[in-house]
Amino acid sequence: MLSFILRRLIAGILTVITISVFGFLLLHLGAHDIARRLVGGMADPAIVERKAQELGLNRPLTTQFFDWAHGAVTGDLGRSWSSGQPVTDALASRLPVTLSLTIGAVVLTAIVGIVLGIVAASRRGWVDRTIQVLSLLMSSIPGFLVALVLVLLFALGLRWFPATGYISAGDSLNGWLSTITLPVIALAIGAIAGVAQQVRGSMIDALRLDYVRTLRARGLPYNRVMYVHVLRNAAGPALSVLGIQFIVMLGGAVVVEQVFSLPGVGQTAVSATVQGDIPLVMGVIVLTSLLVLAINLVIDLVQGWLNPKVRLS
Amino acid sequence: MHSTKRVSAILVGGLVAALLASCASESTPTPSTSGSTSTSSEAPEASGTLHLGVVTQLASFAPWEASWANQSPYLQAVYDTLLRTEPDGTIAPGLATKWEWNEDRTALTLTLRDNVTFSDGSTLTAQLAADNLLKFRDGTSENASFLAGVTDVEAKDEHTLVITLAAPDPALPVYLSQNAGLVGAQAMFDSKDAQTTPIGSGPYLLDADKTVVGSTWVFEKNPNYWNPEDQHYSEIDMTYYADPTALMNAVKGGQVDAVNAQSPTQSTEAQAAGYLVQTSEQNWVGFLLSDREGKLTPALKDVRVRQAFNYALDRQGLLKALGGGLGTVTTQVFSPNSPAYDPNLDQAYPYDPEKAKQLLAEAGYPDGFTLKMPSNNFVPESEFAIYKEQLGAVGINVEWEATGDDLFGRVLGGSWSAFSFLLQVDPTAWQTIQFSMLPESVWNVFHLADPKVLELADVVRHGEGDKANTAAQQLNQYIVDEAWYAPVYRPFSAFLTNDKTEAKLQSDNAVPYLWNIRPAQ
Repeated sequence: MLSFILRRLIAGILTVITISVFGFLLLHLGAHDIARRLVGGMADPAIVERKAQELGLNRPLTTQFFDWAHGAVTGDLGRSWSSGQPVTDALASRLPVTLSLTIGAVVLTAIVGIVLGIVAASRRGWVDRTIQVLSLLMSSIPGFLVALVLVLLFALGLRWFPATGYISAGDSLNGWLSTITLPVIALAIGAIAGVAQQVRGSMIDALRLDYVRTLRARGLPYNRVMYVHVLRNAAGPALSVLGIQFIVMLGGAVVVEQVFSLPGVGQTAVSATVQGDIPLVMGVIVLTSLLVLAINLVIDLVQGWLNPKVRLS
Repeated sequence: MHSTKRVSAILVGGLVAALLASCASESTPTPSTSGSTSTSSEAPEASGTLHLGVVTQLASFAPWEASWANQSPYLQAVYDTLLRTEPDGTIAPGLATKWEWNEDRTALTLTLRDNVTFSDGSTLTAQLAADNLLKFRDGTSENASFLAGVTDVEAKDEHTLVITLAAPDPALPVYLSQNAGLVGAQAMFDSKDAQTTPIGSGPYLLDADKTVVGSTWVFEKNPNYWNPEDQHYSEIDMTYYADPTALMNAVKGGQVDAVNAQSPTQSTEAQAAGYLVQTSEQNWVGFLLSDREGKLTPALKDVRVRQAFNYALDRQGLLKALGGGLGTVTTQVFSPNSPAYDPNLDQAYPYDPEKAKQLLAEAGYPDGFTLKMPSNNFVPESEFAIYKEQLGAVGINVEWEATGDDLFGRVLGGSWSAFSFLLQVDPTAWQTIQFSMLPESVWNVFHLADPKVLELADVVRHGEGDKANTAAQQLNQYIVDEAWYAPVYRPFSAFLTNDKTEAKLQSDNAVPYLWNIRPAQ
C-alpha cells in the first residue's frame, strides 16, 4: 500500500511540475503588453516601461521562471501584480469559498445521485424511465443557466436566499448555508445526473451476475443483497465518476462564482487572467493542480480499499 | 424495499431541513463577498453602514501607484487630497486651505492644515506632502504624467508648500484634487505592503480583517478625523462586481445602497427595482482621425475627406443602436463643463451622406477609398458592422483589423490612421488639449503640430478667465472645422442609489465623491 501511495505521489508531483512549466511559458508567450494592462490603457509609454522594469518583465524568461520556481518550492508564490497581496494569502482567503462550493456540491451529488441510481435500478419501470428523463434534462442544461434561474426564482422572486455574496461558516452557519445553497445546487445539478446514471447502470449489471442469484437463493434478505453486496460492487465506477465530477466542478465553480459574486478561486482566476497578473494565475494553476492530485490520490486509495485488485495493478 | 424508501426520506428530509435552516433570515448576517458579516446587533443604526458597489477593483493603495475615476471611493476613504473639487468642478480646500499662483503661473504655493493626523499617529507636514508629490511624479500611476511638468516641490516651512512647474499647467489644481494630490504617511514609502495597507489621514480606516482583497473592502470610521462632517457612516463596505448580471442581481436583491451602472439597460432595470438613477456625461464615443498628414492613408490628409467621414455618420441612429438612446449626440470632444464647450458644435456635421459623397469627389476620391481601423474586444462585433455600413455607404470602405490584448500599445504607436474609442471628457479645456492635440500628446499618435492649435493652446495655458476661455472656444471651433475627430455621442453614465441613500454627482468624475454619498435626509 505504501509503495502504491508513493508511486501515485511521484507521478503527481511530476505532473504539477510539468503543468507549472507549461503554464508559465503559455502565460508569458501568449500575453502582450502586460505592464500596460496593469498600469492602465491610457498611461504614457514611459510609465508603462517604468512598470515593466519594476516587475522585471524585461529580464530573460528563463531567469523569471527560475526566480518564480525557487520561491514556489519554498512556499513563496510571490505577490500579486494587480493587488500587491502575497499570492499564498490571496489563495488562502479564497480557497474556503471554492471548497465550500465544491465539497457541498460533491456531497449533494453523492447523496442525490446514489439515491436516484438505486431507486432507478431497483424499481425499474416508469420510475426508472422518469429518472432517466430527468437525468437527461439535468445534464443538458448549462450550469450558468441553472444558476441564473435559481437566482431569479429563489433569490429575487421568493427572497429565500441572497442573490450574491458569501458568509463564512465561522461567522454564521445559517449565513453560510444561505449563501452557498443556490451555488451548490447550480454546480451539482449536472453531476447528479451523471452519478445517478452510473450507479443505475452498475447496479443493473451487478444484479444480473450469478453471485447475486446465489445469494438470493441462499435466502439472504433483499436489502442485504442490495446494499451490502450489489451496491459495494457498483460503488467503484460511481466513485470514479464522482471524482471526475469533483474536478469538473472546480472548473464549473469559475462560472458559478461569477454569477453569485462569490470571492472564490474561480473568480480570482478570471480577474487575474484579465489583468495579466501572472503570479496570481500561476498560484491558481499550482493550487488546482495540487487539488486534482489530492482528489485523484484519495479516489485511488478508496478504490483500493473497495477493491484490492486495484492496489495490485 | 421499505428500507430504501426510509433512507430516501431521511436524506431528502435532511436536505430540506438544511435548506430551511439556511432560510432563517432573522438572525442571518448581511452577506458580503468577503466572508465577513455585519449583524444587525453590530451595526449601531440602520444607516450606519454604506454598502457601496464598485465596478473596478482597486489597483493599489500606494498613492504613487493610485488610479482614480471608478477607484476614487477606495482612496477617498483612507486618504485626503491636497485640494478637492465641488460637484460642479469648482476647486475647494482639502489638506490645503489656501493656494495661490505666482505671476507667470509656474509656481503654486499651498498652505496646509495644521491639525491633520495619519492613522499611524504621524502628522501632516509640507515636507511629507512634497515627498508624496515627487513620488507620484516618478511612480507608476496611470496618471503619473499629470505631474510630469513639475520640476521641484519645496517645503518653505512646516505648512507651506511650493510646487514649481517648467511651464504653466492650468489643470494642476484639478490634478491635486485627484490621485496626484493623495498624501500617504512617510512610513508607507518603504513598506512592501504599501499596495494593500494604506496609512492615510482620511475619514475611514481599512479593516484588514474583514477585507478580502480583490473582492470586498471594509472601512471603519476614523475616530481622529479632522473633519467629522464628512463622515456619514460608521462603516462602509465596497464590493466589487465583476459580472454585470451579478451586479444587477445585487441591485434587485437590495444588497447595494449605491453603485455605478455599467450599461444603459441596467439603468432601466434599476429604476424598476426602485433605485434613483442619476445621469451625467463623462465620456465621448467616436473616432480619432489621427493621420492628418496622410502618412498611412493619404486620403485623410484632405480636410474634406475628414469632414465627409463626419457627415457619413447617422449619430442619432448610432446613439439609439449602440447607446440605447441614452446620451447626447455630439461632434465636439470638449466637455459640457469645459469653458471650450459650444452647444452649437454638437450639431456641426448633421447626417448627410450626399454631402459626404460630394466632399469625397471634390477631394479626388469619387470612388471612395479604403481605411484600415482596429476592432477590439471591448465592444460587440455588431458595433463595428454598423460603422462599416454607414461609412461604406458614402465610399469609405472600412477594413477592421482584429487586435489582441496589445491594442493600446499599437494604437498609440501609430499603427492605424484612425480608430474608434471611448474617451473621457475633461473638466478643463487644457486637459483635453494636453491629451490629444499637442505634438507631445500621447493620444496625438502621429505627434503632428498645427501652428493655429499651438497658438491658441498657448493662450489657454498661460491665460486666465475670459481670455483663456475665448481661446479655448476658438480652438474647439477650429478642430471641429478641421475634423480632427468624428465624435458620435456622449453616453450617459448612471449612478444608482436606493431610497436610504442620496448622492451628488461629480461633474469631473465617474462616481460621486465619497463625502457626497450620505444617508437620505
